[in-house]
Amino acid sequence: MSTPQSIRRLGRYPLLPVVVLMAVGFQIATGSFVDHENLVGIASDSATLAMVAVPSALLVISGYLDLSVGSTWALGAVAAGWWASSHHGSLVGCALVAVAAGLAVGAVNGLLCCGLGLSPFIVTLGSLTAVRGLAQQLAPLPLTGFSTSFAWLGGSSTAGIPTPVILAVIVVLVAGFVLLATPVGRHIYAIGVSREAAYLSGVRVRTVPFVIFLLTGASAGLAGAIKASVLGAVQSGTSGLGFELSVLTAVLVGGVALSGGSGSLFGVVLGVAFLGILQNGLTLMGVPTFWQQVAQGVALMVAAGLAYLGPRLEALTAVRPPAVQPPTAPEGEQLSTATVMTSQP
Amino acid sequence: MALRVTALHKSFAGAHALRGVDLTIEPGEVHALLGHNGAGKSTLIKALGGAFAPDSGEIQVAERTYAGLTPRQSIAAGIAIIFQHLSLVDSLSVVDNIFLGQEVARAGVVSRRAQRERASALLERLGAHCRVDDRVGSLPMGQRQLVEIAKAMSRNPVVLILDEPTAALSAHEVATLEATVRRLKEQGLAICYVTHLLGEVERLADRMTVLRDGRVHSSTSLAGKTRADIIAAIAEPPTALAPRAPIHEADPPQLRLEGLTGMGVGPIDLEVRPGEIVGLFGLIGSGRTRTLELTYGRRRRGGRVIVGGRPVDRATPRAGLRAGLALVPGDRTGQGLFSSLSALDNALLPAQGTLSRFGLRRRGAELAAFERMSAELSVQPASPAAPARSFSGGNQQKILLGRWINGVLPTTVLMLDEPTQGVDVQARHEIYRVVRAIASERRTAVLFASTDPEEVVALADRCLVMREGRIVDELAGDAITEEALLDSIHHLPTSEKDVR
Repeated sequence: MSTPQSIRRLGRYPLLPVVVLMAVGFQIATGSFVDHENLVGIASDSATLAMVAVPSALLVISGYLDLSVGSTWALGAVAAGWWASSHHGSLVGCALVAVAAGLAVGAVNGLLCCGLGLSPFIVTLGSLTAVRGLAQQLAPLPLTGFSTSFAWLGGSSTAGIPTPVILAVIVVLVAGFVLLATPVGRHIYAIGVSREAAYLSGVRVRTVPFVIFLLTGASAGLAGAIKASVLGAVQSGTSGLGFELSVLTAVLVGGVALSGGSGSLFGVVLGVAFLGILQNGLTLMGVPTFWQQVAQGVALMVAAGLAYLGPRLEALTAVRPPAVQPPTAPEGEQLSTATVMTSQP
Repeated sequence: MALRVTALHKSFAGAHALRGVDLTIEPGEVHALLGHNGAGKSTLIKALGGAFAPDSGEIQVAERTYAGLTPRQSIAAGIAIIFQHLSLVDSLSVVDNIFLGQEVARAGVVSRRAQRERASALLERLGAHCRVDDRVGSLPMGQRQLVEIAKAMSRNPVVLILDEPTAALSAHEVATLEATVRRLKEQGLAICYVTHLLGEVERLADRMTVLRDGRVHSSTSLAGKTRADIIAAIAEPPTALAPRAPIHEADPPQLRLEGLTGMGVGPIDLEVRPGEIVGLFGLIGSGRTRTLELTYGRRRRGGRVIVGGRPVDRATPRAGLRAGLALVPGDRTGQGLFSSLSALDNALLPAQGTLSRFGLRRRGAELAAFERMSAELSVQPASPAAPARSFSGGNQQKILLGRWINGVLPTTVLMLDEPTQGVDVQARHEIYRVVRAIASERRTAVLFASTDPEEVVALADRCLVMREGRIVDELAGDAITEEALLDSIHHLPTSEKDVR
């Protein structure tokens, strides 16, 4: 691959220079940003977000959406906390019940959205509320007094790398591998671009997104367990509250189109890193939490602006091979005429 | 003179869609615009509607001359186009639709009474029965179309263009529409009427212009012309294509449908032998597309589909594919193409599983398969990474065809729905060449549906004529001529209108 092409490829990720500039800026402003300890802290804070953002991104690429991950997180945390505090639970048991709780939520979401074809927005908005209620009903009081083996899940590290980060890296690598190297990866994009065309091409248009719903639920449950392990306590009312918004922000800032069919995991990882660095850097600088929230929100809007400008800038700068002609879809033209006919003032 | 088009040229991606079209329509004249798929009819209409600027030539409307139009200019100039896909909002009332975007307002407030009065006057002028307060979504197709025409008339057009207006109408509605067209003609409107149906030409038109390969083939008055004269003016000499390999009558059929039913279609019984190309010919709504979809498993079906002697039990595209069936749908953008994905993904999506090893994609094998496919179908440009939407209509269609005949999938029955819709002439002939070649060389059974008689003549070894969801006639070999096909849908015992 020639250098200009690889540079152009990086040009698809306008977030990359932003992340780099931010890191440089925070280092200059605080002098302690790139300390080893701080970087490990960012990574472990971002690990749970990455773990859930990756399957969520696959879901969005295939044209679906899961808003319930914050509540699933709480349910997973409650399940793991319950096991850790009352069954003298082994680490494996805790992780398994959290994953099972997440799978159950994912299965319900998936059945309703993929099986019955209901709107994923509505269905998962419903489960966002319902699952939170369920978690609070199951554990109205804070859960504490976890077994020591459970603390290992969030607190241990191997070769200086915290376990949650290792898990997140595994999730990213496996998902990236599936997306790029297997036929199913192409199917995920195809379903997001045109479900009908994918169906007529023999793609399993129900099974594939259903499985991603399962994975999203499982990862959200596990993420909840990890956070419970880190904190040593679970409060079902606030655990993972608003997490679904962070996940969606990371996915969308990372360049995945909400309309489905496009996006990359590298972009999503950048989105996660962006949010993590932003929060950490602003905290180091002593910026109040509310202003941090403002910054996150503005970043999402800027990302939406980039999504609008990106293709236009690319069209201006890209050197097109002369043989590729501009689109001449006749249907589109007909549509545009018809639309303009209706919108004449 | 209401509309005059002079020496209009337009090419897309190097393919000439219009090569110097002249057309003059006088006030109070119904001018029939005829021609086959790819002849340039829709390109001409879109140029008039302002969908794109012509490369050269002039458009003159009511004494004003334009080198090209935007959609707004087109409307302002007085051109009104009624497309097959109506631009109505189903949830709004008739009056709201008519005045959508051009509300009659006094001091910024919509004057409902003035709108209602003008709307009912318009509907009366057209002879429409619907009331101004009816919700458009609850109206039958014919009335909706009249609402669309009323909306167009509210802007006082100079020329009204109707693009195959009767395609979706019932017999009774066709009569109403024809009466409306006559009324408007008497009121002095210039009307351009695009159609496939000769009966409508005979009953309505004063003049006709036949397009062929982007040029005006003939333009004559219809006074004193017989049906035979019209057919002779439309029919093209058969194009020279390579001879077909013989079909062996003794071969067991590759595809057999036994009492296929579903979606108001059937029962249908038919057989396609290995290497045979069978056409399903009929008007829109006659059940051609549904027959293909039912066979493929796109829709729930009754009866039996037997491929290569084995019945296909499950009615899903997956099961159909595994049995060796393949379908290139007629709605290219909606059902076929993944517009933002690469040409390679589009061509090989169902084949990637077969090409993979241990569940892993093999890029080398995929690229090789794409190269073979694009060479065989002469896809231009042969760039695997370019997004599908950047290709011309003809090349998009070749990529969709290549999805099934790339040599990786075990396609033994290829089904094509309107294989050359929205495709330029050159690509059309290439598609015919490829389809005939795979039938001859790979002994693939081909079943295609078309509304275009020329296409049936060019492709089919045998043609089944469909009407009201059933097969009503069969033509084979040299008996398949455009005259015979047009006859078979026009000279049936019942009147042409009942065909829908």
